[in-house]
Amino acid sequence: MRFLPLFWSGIWRKPARTVLIFLQVSIAFALFGMLQGLKTGVDHASAAARADLLIVHSRLSFLAESLPSGLIEQINSVPGVKLVVPVDIFGATYQKPSDRLAVVAIGLVGDWPSAFTYTIAPDYVAALQKLRTSALVRKELADKYGWKIGDRIPLMSNTAQVSGSTNWAFDVVGTFTDSDVGGARYIIVINLAYLDEARVLGKGTVQHFNVAISDATQAATVADEIDRRFVNSPQETKTESLLELAQSQTQSIGDMNFLIRAIVGAVLAALLFATATMLMQSVRERSLEFAVIKAVGFTDRAVFLIILAEALLVCVAAAGFGLALATVVLPLTAIMQGLSMPTIVVAVGLSLAVAVALISAAVPAVLAARLRIATALASG
Amino acid sequence: MNFIRQFFGIVGINLSSAGQRLGSVLTIIIGVTCAVGVLVSMLAMGAGVRRQSMGDVREDPVILNSTGAFGSQSSIPRDEAVTARGLPSIKTGNAGEPIVVFDLMVPIEARRRVTGTRIFFPLIGTTPTFTQYRPEIRLTAGRMFQRGLHEFIANNPCRRQFSGFEIGDRRSIRGIDWSVVGHFDEGQSQQCILYTDVDILMSTFNRNTYTLVSAMLKTPADYGVLRDALQANPTLHLEVRHEREVVEAQLKQLKGILDFASYFVGAVMAIGATLGAVNSLYAIVDSRRREFGTLRAIGFGSGAIGAAILCESLLFALPGALLGGALAWALFNGLSASPFGYNFRLAVTPALGLIGIAWALGMGLMGGLLPALRAARLPVATAIRAN
Repeated sequence: MRFLPLFWSGIWRKPARTVLIFLQVSIAFALFGMLQGLKTGVDHASAAARADLLIVHSRLSFLAESLPSGLIEQINSVPGVKLVVPVDIFGATYQKPSDRLAVVAIGLVGDWPSAFTYTIAPDYVAALQKLRTSALVRKELADKYGWKIGDRIPLMSNTAQVSGSTNWAFDVVGTFTDSDVGGARYIIVINLAYLDEARVLGKGTVQHFNVAISDATQAATVADEIDRRFVNSPQETKTESLLELAQSQTQSIGDMNFLIRAIVGAVLAALLFATATMLMQSVRERSLEFAVIKAVGFTDRAVFLIILAEALLVCVAAAGFGLALATVVLPLTAIMQGLSMPTIVVAVGLSLAVAVALISAAVPAVLAARLRIATALASG
Repeated sequence: MNFIRQFFGIVGINLSSAGQRLGSVLTIIIGVTCAVGVLVSMLAMGAGVRRQSMGDVREDPVILNSTGAFGSQSSIPRDEAVTARGLPSIKTGNAGEPIVVFDLMVPIEARRRVTGTRIFFPLIGTTPTFTQYRPEIRLTAGRMFQRGLHEFIANNPCRRQFSGFEIGDRRSIRGIDWSVVGHFDEGQSQQCILYTDVDILMSTFNRNTYTLVSAMLKTPADYGVLRDALQANPTLHLEVRHEREVVEAQLKQLKGILDFASYFVGAVMAIGATLGAVNSLYAIVDSRRREFGTLRAIGFGSGAIGAAILCESLLFALPGALLGGALAWALFNGLSASPFGYNFRLAVTPALGLIGIAWALGMGLMGGLLPALRAARLPVATAIRAN
């Protein structure tokens, strides 16, 4: 600790140079933090998806095919199943064709919110039950269009009503939030009973069932058992946990792994070279000073350590600053909501900073340690 | 004249003595190389998407979808589709029939060969005129699907990426065995696409509406005639768009994300490389103070010295740009990528090379400015005594 003033004066010997190196290291690690944080953060988020929630959909196609809502009884009878909720989804637009949103129609059975990743106030759950044309709006969507409770929102869709119209109107009775990281941002929840009654086509069918199970560790067994019940029937099903779905969804970002690694590699290579050159230059300029402190009794080892310590101090502080910056910026990226910087990325970043400092300071430090006092003093 | 002679003189000295300052010079070159390399390889994604999807787009095909619907949500009743066949200005095919194609798209699930991950892509039911509507389709193996049979053809990217698409492979769709009878290439596309007979697909999936109706115009200029005829007919609830517009609308978001990410990462790296260049050039100027002081003392202008430093910075950035572009090309050109489930090959084009060079010169200019000022402003008296 008593050497701190020495390091400090060494670091600030050329303030402009130190500030530039500090910024360069910060920027490199801010970029590292953002890219790696995005990748690892998405992986973590998908790994945290609920394993006790199964989605039962048609084996033919998740998107295009529907299932008869009557399957609910058979799914309910599978051991381990706690609750089955039928769900249908259709796309709609508000005012402009580009104002797209998804309408999620839910069969309001039992404690249905427990089979979703939504967080809904109990009052709103009750309100949805009460009014047939009611809708709950995801917070982000309500904020986007300034919708408030009591508003009646007109939507356009391709789903025709019995009256022939493809326009729908819903009464906003509440808002909710969704913790599913991969979930669509702009969604409203409506009453499936109302949709089924009002539409012309697809009556009595749903897009999928949400199934809550009692034991998350049994997810695979329960899923297989559900699918087994419908084998060779006209409605073969495919059951997957939310965890599996999230993982296959984030896989597409995983395809970018190679690119992310290449960028991080390029950033670190450029950085390493820059810091090494700068330290070399600095030690060369200070050879007279090192000769003097050696003359007053500092050992070779001490000089070696002083240079390493200076490099470490600057690199780690700068990397910390850069990573802090990335931590602040990361949640603002629009790719995924609620993304936060994983601690592991910060830890790896700081260790990389230590490695960069040690590697780039090694040669200059050895040179300074081996400095011969007489020669250095004479050349000055 | 004097300024120019002095300037070239100093640049000459600088370059001939660059070997003595190898570390600083390499720092600039490597920094610029990495920044340009990353920028160009990332932009290559956007360029790849564009080349693949816009490469095959012509001006004469138009696409009709139901009013207000986007993409696969469009649904066109049979009678409207048949009426659309009689619209004016549509080119006629070999047998005198209008080149109008009725398509039904159904998403199909497949598993990736290596990772086993699930992905969706369209099975497109189409009518016989589609080979005239899409002349770029080339069968590479097997034969065309036959009408009324449960069989389809798959494109080669599909066969390469997914399992179960070799000729003769069977696949259960709606409990019926479908077989793969042919492979084809369609222009640049790397997206997985399957074609089959539209009637068999409609009966399999119990549909009686088409997703899209596509038509070939006699000449691109006939677009207005077709659109007016469409609007004049109250029984048709269709809108018409150029194929180009449809493709561009589909890609807008993806390309926006890719380009934003490219320029963001590229800019951050450029700032880092510029800082490195500033530092290196400062070091160069500092270590040569006596030299510059001497030059000033024997009559060289400060402007010439500053300009020479700036020029040096630009000259060191240039090999960095070329190297970075070359590395990006060697490592990433033609590489298959599928971010967000969209398949394409990265394309490192000459235009991207130029962007990379411009980017590098920008870094060189920004990086050289302050050190050049310092070199120009060195007080002669103290500079000469510097060690």
